[in-house]
Amino acid sequence: MWWRRPKSREMDLERELCAHLELEAEEQQQSGLDPEQAHYAARRALGNAALIKEQVREVWGWALWDIFVQEIRYALRTLGRSPGFTATAVLTLALGIGASTAVFTVVDSVILKPLAYHNSGQLVQASERVRFLSLEPLGPNPRHVDLWQKRATDFSGLTLLRYRAAGLSQGSGHPRLIGAVTCLPNLFDILQVQALLGRVFLPEDGVKGHDNVAVLTYSLWQSLFHGDANVLNRTIRIDDTPRVVVGILPERFHFPNANALRTILSRPPVSGTPDPAVFLPVALDLTQFSWNGDYGNWVSLGRLKPGITAGRAEAQLTAIDGEVIQEMPANETHLESKLTAAVQPMQEAVVSDSRTGLWLLMAAVAGLMLLACLNLANAQLGRAMARRREAAVRTALGATKWRLVWNALAENLLLAAIGGATGVLLAFAALDLFRRYPPVDLPRLAEVHLNFSVLAFSVLVVVSASLLSGLLPAMRLASSDPQESLQQSTSRTLGNRQHTKLRTWLIGVQVFGCAALLLVTGLFSKSLLYLLNQDRGFQTGHVAVAEVRLTPNAYGTDQSRAVFDEAVLANLRAIPAVQAAGLVSAMPLEGVSWIEPLIRTDRPKQEGPLINLRWVSPGYFEATRQRLLAGRFFEDRDRGRNNVVLSEGEAKALWGNEDPIGGQVRVRNQTRTVIGVVADSRSTSLKSAPARMAYLHYADQPPFATFFMARSARAADTLVPEMRRAIWKYSPDVTIARVKTFDSQVMDSLAPERFQTSVLLAFGIAALLLAMLGIYGVLSYSVVTRKQEIGVRMALGATRRRVYTLTMSEASVPVIVGLAAGLLAGILAEGAVRTLLYGIQRVDPMVIATVAVLFLLAAAAAAFPPARRAASVDPMDALRSE
Amino acid sequence: MPKESSSRIQLLQGTLDMLILRTLLFGPAHGHQIARHIQQTTEDLLQIEHGSLYPALHRLERRGWIAAKWEPAGKDLKREFKYYRLTPAGRRQLVAEESKWKKLSSAIARIMWPAEEN
Repeated sequence: MWWRRPKSREMDLERELCAHLELEAEEQQQSGLDPEQAHYAARRALGNAALIKEQVREVWGWALWDIFVQEIRYALRTLGRSPGFTATAVLTLALGIGASTAVFTVVDSVILKPLAYHNSGQLVQASERVRFLSLEPLGPNPRHVDLWQKRATDFSGLTLLRYRAAGLSQGSGHPRLIGAVTCLPNLFDILQVQALLGRVFLPEDGVKGHDNVAVLTYSLWQSLFHGDANVLNRTIRIDDTPRVVVGILPERFHFPNANALRTILSRPPVSGTPDPAVFLPVALDLTQFSWNGDYGNWVSLGRLKPGITAGRAEAQLTAIDGEVIQEMPANETHLESKLTAAVQPMQEAVVSDSRTGLWLLMAAVAGLMLLACLNLANAQLGRAMARRREAAVRTALGATKWRLVWNALAENLLLAAIGGATGVLLAFAALDLFRRYPPVDLPRLAEVHLNFSVLAFSVLVVVSASLLSGLLPAMRLASSDPQESLQQSTSRTLGNRQHTKLRTWLIGVQVFGCAALLLVTGLFSKSLLYLLNQDRGFQTGHVAVAEVRLTPNAYGTDQSRAVFDEAVLANLRAIPAVQAAGLVSAMPLEGVSWIEPLIRTDRPKQEGPLINLRWVSPGYFEATRQRLLAGRFFEDRDRGRNNVVLSEGEAKALWGNEDPIGGQVRVRNQTRTVIGVVADSRSTSLKSAPARMAYLHYADQPPFATFFMARSARAADTLVPEMRRAIWKYSPDVTIARVKTFDSQVMDSLAPERFQTSVLLAFGIAALLLAMLGIYGVLSYSVVTRKQEIGVRMALGATRRRVYTLTMSEASVPVIVGLAAGLLAGILAEGAVRTLLYGIQRVDPMVIATVAVLFLLAAAAAAFPPARRAASVDPMDALRSE
Repeated sequence: MPKESSSRIQLLQGTLDMLILRTLLFGPAHGHQIARHIQQTTEDLLQIEHGSLYPALHRLERRGWIAAKWEPAGKDLKREFKYYRLTPAGRRQLVAEESKWKKLSSAIARIMWPAEEN
């Protein structure tokens, strides 16, 4: 029975053939041969028993499997004998699959996959461009959106929402900071999301007095109520206001955070921005908004009717905005007002910031993958050449050509299986790590899950690259003439020149990729160094900053906030070793905030650009060590005196070379006197030019979001717990959003750049190592095969120096050509990543030179050991060993 | 005793299967008997390496044309041989092969000896 277990089938065949031999021998004996002769005659008559068994096994049909098992065993042995090659191959495969799967998955989940809402293609973000402010789209004016809602026919719904950070508490304990979204009740109708428990908002929730409800996300429900189903109608306090929980959102629901749907595009994303955890309805009183202001605070989302394009909707909203300009009260129109709408698919809005960076990451991974595959191919090729003699012997002993190919296949499948499995594990681990400790703020991070089609794809690509690189040389071997190979391997000849040439040019391609990657890495490193080392205009060492969110309920009056601020500042200054403490109304390095026009009262016609207003306390400039250029810093006596401190740039713009001290400016309908000028600082962002600033005394309008800063003689991180205590000492109920060192704030503000640079650096180093490995491998092999030739040369008088140059120059042409082409490609690639680079000239000769020198040194280091081996060949020894 | 190899005829490819099937028409037989039978019937004219018989037997078994069973030899109950037996499918196959062979040989004959045909 052919399906019988191989072993018993094997025994069966053995028995059958034995019986045959016995019978034959008996017959031969009967015809007069002695037993021994009869035995041999019987064997002769039967033929080659091993061959017969083989043929029968082939008939059985499991021959393929049998060969396979045999070859796998053989491959295990041969791979075990060359652990260096095995480790390299497995690692290459594992890293290739792991890294590419992780990165492709992130790219796919963040950029490519549609947002996880029903018919998400219809969702759009609507903004407005206001010419007298700037040309970039801003969050629209709520009054305009109200008219859009009433008049636009292209939308099935439009909503308004606003992000905020809110303090959440349940009874006792310090409030904790969560992300909150305040929205019109129709948000969930537009997103087409149903509640998991309870309900989403009803239109009544948007009526004053009925708006004290809240809808929680699944994760907040889990962390706050541990998934208790009796959560409905419980009360939580958000910013000191009681709210009744009416609904829980589904687990799969994720809403982009404030970085993803920004209302002012030029404001940089803030690292550590919490994802929205609670949704609150807003009872919008439109009369509190002006007709031509309040831009850049609200986000408008809408759902287009089926078949309507974003462009058409944009034209319709722009037309309505035209009507708005006509209809608005005359005193609110600016003469130069021009209002247009901008409608962008929501997905586009959410992912646009991350796009360039992620594509860069993907290109780097793809490049590295290519290099790894090339390296593997080169190693395989070298291995195949080294085993030519073995293959020839096997062929001569009767192995079929297919057997040789099978052999290579088994070996590669084995490598692919081990490397692939490791790679899959690596991909899982990398993604898990990425989700848990995201190195950069990415939208849709919660949606990043290992994508099995991506995994399958990268396994397929990497494994097939490995198989191809392993099989092609094997096929070539199989088709080569064994006799020729056997003769050639007497190693006097120069080895197969063609093969070596192919390998050196593979090295050239590798060098090309490596050089391009290194150049881009160099540009990013230089850009990061520039960002870190440029003159900021302030000093961050020994400074810590604490963000406090005062709520309108408890601290509604200016007076109460001023009292709080004073008390906390006094507490801070009482901390031992604190040298200076102050407060400011905006977190440094988190972009512009509160921009207003500012004019000289004596020259009202002179229009300047909008400037940043910051409310600061005495001690702020001392804590951040900003340089005073003229006049003086704020002091306590400036309280209520309508004084202003200008930044250098603003003072120059208004007064030129005149002395601005004592001059009068008009801002927010108030006349203020200039008492000081401080040096320009990059306090809004390290990535943009210093912003024009006007600093006002905090007591003029104490901010709700207050940022306390303290400078100490001790290390800044020791200040962190003490600042927390100093604030809660005054009131344990205030929400401390975060306390961190100023240095870490700098680092966080550069998180995307640091991430990109460190990834590129890692890839660049890996690529360099791969290239070095490739050069080393090819030259080593070449030296081994040319040992005799080198011996002859030395016997004929070649010096050791000559042998060094001979060996090291062997791969020099491909290396130099590859290097030049790679640098050129890197320079061209720079254009694509321009927007991510700072302080870099178009073609940076320093970076190019550094990369070229670094690379040549590395290449020389890789070529040196083989060259030394060549130079240490003893001519007598080499000639004798023929 | 084997004859001189020059006077022996190489078996045509594919005909061994037919010969085995035909041999088994007389009743079950083991490998050695089949080999012996073919050799003796053709008076040692056909050169069959005994070894080549076994792959063929296993091939036919796999195709279901013959079935095999270990059975004691007729007289000697201690020894068992693997006896092959024709299955109904094998019988049909034999008929098909036979007619195919007849057509082939008559076709060849017509080309080789056209005059005799007339």
